[in-house]
Amino acid sequence: MENLEIQATKSSPEINFNSDNYTLSMIGESYPENTSQFYEPVYQWLESCTESLGEEKLVFNIELIYFNSSSSKVLMDLFDILEDASDDGKNIIVNWIYDEENDSALEYGEEFAEDMEALTFNLVEKS
Amino acid sequence: MISLYDYKQDLEQDGIIFSFSGPMSHEIIEGIGSAIRVKIGEGEGGDRKAALKVFAIFVEQVENVINYSVEKDYAQSDMSFGIVVVGKKDGLFFISGGNRIEAEKQNQLDEYLTKLAAMNKDELKVYYKERRRAEKTEGSKGAGIGFIEMARKSSKPLEFSFRKIDERHSFFTIKISI
Repeated sequence: MENLEIQATKSSPEINFNSDNYTLSMIGESYPENTSQFYEPVYQWLESCTESLGEEKLVFNIELIYFNSSSSKVLMDLFDILEDASDDGKNIIVNWIYDEENDSALEYGEEFAEDMEALTFNLVEKS
Repeated sequence: MISLYDYKQDLEQDGIIFSFSGPMSHEIIEGIGSAIRVKIGEGEGGDRKAALKVFAIFVEQVENVINYSVEKDYAQSDMSFGIVVVGKKDGLFFISGGNRIEAEKQNQLDEYLTKLAAMNKDELKVYYKERRRAEKTEGSKGAGIGFIEMARKSSKPLEFSFRKIDERHSFFTIKISI
């Protein structure tokens, strides 16, 4: 698989996928002008990645200071892809990274975690 | 000599920190949004948590105007017109947004917002999660959870109103307090 690299803008996060160690990271803020369009490559990429995933472990590190309601819906869709793959026995970990000062980021992370059953969804306080 | 002084004084008297009326765009969200975050969040007495909440509501309200206002200037662009006001009164921040809607959509929106205004925080959370996983409603440009998000962040029940403009149009206003 190819690496995926998207530069951050004021309203969209930096996204990096390293295909050597199956690590996906998303850092920044998310309120892009066209949310579905912005996340389409990530969606595509996660779908094909989870299909081809063997014994390897896929780690998704996500650190969002702020995201709007349409991004929240897209994130749910992304986590659902990972939830289904985990349900099929794939080894996937989500690390939801939050700043202790940002209580809404923690709250949002908890709410995503509550909705996941098979997927390992960790809430990680930023050190 | 014309002067905006009286107008500005009126705004300040109402506790208004920021007011924008006109065509809305994504650039407005980014630019003015940053200014709001700095104004409320930084410096002496700055409150970063409140700044992020006010910003979050501001984003949802401008996006609503962009997606749902029926006042557009097609000759020049397809930008949507509306108004967004941010202020602070009696210790609470408020964010109000307004735009023109089709009169025939008023009842549906009124019913929906009345339902949200009557829900408590736990009910709103359950409803938010349910709608987040639901398929997009036809004709909806956003995720359809913006108003639920606003209701969840609001420290008071949603406040909103409709005012008749003519047979075909109403003016919709929503106010969130934080």
